[in-house]
Amino acid sequence: MKKLRIDLQALIFLLPFLIVYVLFTIWPMIKGAQMSFYKWTLIRKMKYVGWDNFQRMFHDDQFWAAVWHSTIFVFLTTPTMIVLAIALALIANRKSKLQKLYRSAFFLPSILSVSVASYLGLFMFQPYTGFINGILHGLGILAEGKEIFWLTEPSLAWIAVAALTLWWTVGFNFILYLSAMQEIPDEIYEAASLDGAAKGQMFWRITLPMMNSITRMILMLQIIASYKVFMQIYIITGGGPLDSTRPIIQYIYQSGFKKNDLGYAATMSYMLFAILLVLSIIQYVVNNRKEAA
Amino acid sequence: MRRKFSFMWITLLSLTLLLSACGSGGSSGNSGSDSAGGDASGGTNESASNDTGGSSGEKVNLSFWTLFDGGDGDNMQAMVDQFNKEHPDIQVKNTKLVWGEYYTKLITAVGAGNGPDVGISHISRLPDLINQGVATELDDSAKDANIDWSTFNQNILEASIYDDKHYAVPIDTHPFIMYYNKKLLKDAGLLGEDGKPVLEQSGEGFIKFLTTLKEKLPKGKYPFALSSSNDDPFRFWWALYSQQGGNDVVSDDLKSADIDKDKAVKAADYIKDLYHKYNFIKLNDPDFYKTFQSGNAAIMMTGVWATGTWENTKGLEFGAMPIPKVFDQEATWGDSHTIILPATSSEDPEKRKAALIFANWIADHGEIWAKAGHIPSKPAVFDKPEFKEMPYRSDYVSVASTVKFNKHSDKNWQIRDNALFKYLNEVWSNKMSSSDAVDKMQTEIGKVLSE
Repeated sequence: MKKLRIDLQALIFLLPFLIVYVLFTIWPMIKGAQMSFYKWTLIRKMKYVGWDNFQRMFHDDQFWAAVWHSTIFVFLTTPTMIVLAIALALIANRKSKLQKLYRSAFFLPSILSVSVASYLGLFMFQPYTGFINGILHGLGILAEGKEIFWLTEPSLAWIAVAALTLWWTVGFNFILYLSAMQEIPDEIYEAASLDGAAKGQMFWRITLPMMNSITRMILMLQIIASYKVFMQIYIITGGGPLDSTRPIIQYIYQSGFKKNDLGYAATMSYMLFAILLVLSIIQYVVNNRKEAA
Repeated sequence: MRRKFSFMWITLLSLTLLLSACGSGGSSGNSGSDSAGGDASGGTNESASNDTGGSSGEKVNLSFWTLFDGGDGDNMQAMVDQFNKEHPDIQVKNTKLVWGEYYTKLITAVGAGNGPDVGISHISRLPDLINQGVATELDDSAKDANIDWSTFNQNILEASIYDDKHYAVPIDTHPFIMYYNKKLLKDAGLLGEDGKPVLEQSGEGFIKFLTTLKEKLPKGKYPFALSSSNDDPFRFWWALYSQQGGNDVVSDDLKSADIDKDKAVKAADYIKDLYHKYNFIKLNDPDFYKTFQSGNAAIMMTGVWATGTWENTKGLEFGAMPIPKVFDQEATWGDSHTIILPATSSEDPEKRKAALIFANWIADHGEIWAKAGHIPSKPAVFDKPEFKEMPYRSDYVSVASTVKFNKHSDKNWQIRDNALFKYLNEVWSNKMSSSDAVDKMQTEIGKVLSE
């Protein structure tokens, strides 16, 4: 009885959030599932089409190309992100006068909004006036009168987008690693140094294994976040050249709002959801097995 | 400890999954929330129409949605203000929307029954709006409002007629023209006594003109400023394709792709050579407007809307003219702003009449609208002293009749964005031959049309 009353109290406090949450998250999700079975435009009456949207999706080359592009992005950014975040955390964790400066400097880009970060990237990679080409000219690596067109060559465009994303989002993962490093008890290092372990050995045998669980978590979060990439690519390359950097979310957006085909867009959203779900389940099962062993 | 961690892990995981779902599902959720927002404002709309419904002696309030910003936005506001002053019985309220979101918002709002009384549409977007039931047929209300269709430029007007019915009141046309820097041309000896470029109107003539510029211009100045992707080189291509007699890229029944391959390839090759063979154009110029504006390019091509910008640039001595006749006949790319009456739930004839009186008044007062550079849709405006006093405009008003408008396909914009831009960009960056690109465009257009 008493427990029930407490729950009721909690519910009252939770209510404002729950209403918004149900209205703007749960309800659209249900609506989205319904839409994926309809030919649904912004204005005309919708028409039930059964599994047509799904069938069309499985035969849509552009859809699979876009999924592949998002996958490329995942492969490009996830491992590099983890390595970079650990490296930065190691630097910031050293006892040094600059410790505070490191911490804030590494985290600072994360507070930028995606559009600010992307436009900064756009200016950096611009030919003629861009920062990167300017530096290359200054160092004499790039000959006078020559320009690297970062954003119109597919492979260079990928590098530009991935580099920008790393710089912009590494801060959050860096903080996670830093706190994980500080959680490791000093005694372990002490014991190791008494046993004559070198710095490198300590890193590979103590620091890294002790952070295993956080690495797994970052890996999963990073994969999910990378599959959802959209804005920075949309702003920097617009998906070009020749759609070679167009991620799946951009294709969904274009289908829904440029082509007025919201039903098909919803179908593809659910496919993305399914892909992420499968990846998460695999990850979860693998983790559990490891922890049980 | 381990247990606690795995609990956190599950919570986090499910949270991110949910977030990801709403991230992607957001695209589908939006329409729901939009119409919810619209419902709220629907109440005010209704009360407004209650005020005005009834006898014609009462004041009519019109809501007007526009997509203009910058100079265009200010000019439109000035016209609305003046109209309101002159017409005490009709009051127009101008709501400026961001251009990138305008059409989506208009279509959603009309779909939810909360659209404005008056709206703007590009003439090339009109078929889509008609097809979706957003733009309504005007003929009955036009009779009430005494609109004389013969006072409009017929080339523009034609593009707004569907099945012999009027769907829009054109207020301007904004074609693709050429601007030149008088100082640079003079230094290169290419400016005639009359202040116009010395330029032979032919394909070779234009190349010769640019070659002379390239030789004579000081270091760091470019003969020709043009972007290397999307809109402007596409418009140039469209112009040259039409100059050979090419007639849009879809068939007359609007059901299949119909590019005249020879002409399309010839036009694309001509432009490609300007970039890569003769090096007249700064490749991948991040801001070609600025290159011209800062006096670093002798000529540039874009829509007439740039006129206002150049006029407000200190120290820029420029001129405007139709783009050169590279092939057989004069033609250029162009679009046109029109005023439409979006479908509303009440379809109040008094409101529709008032809206068309307003639209006709705007077209009649094209001299204010022309400040930004647009060509007025009524030739009578050309003779008004206010218009004649403005420099440059008269040099290109003739272009209004040579604009090659799109055919009436509701897929015009999709074809442009998904088929034409995409493969032409590959040609401009020298990665694909014009012939391959045109073949791919043909296939892609077919795909867009069949969807």
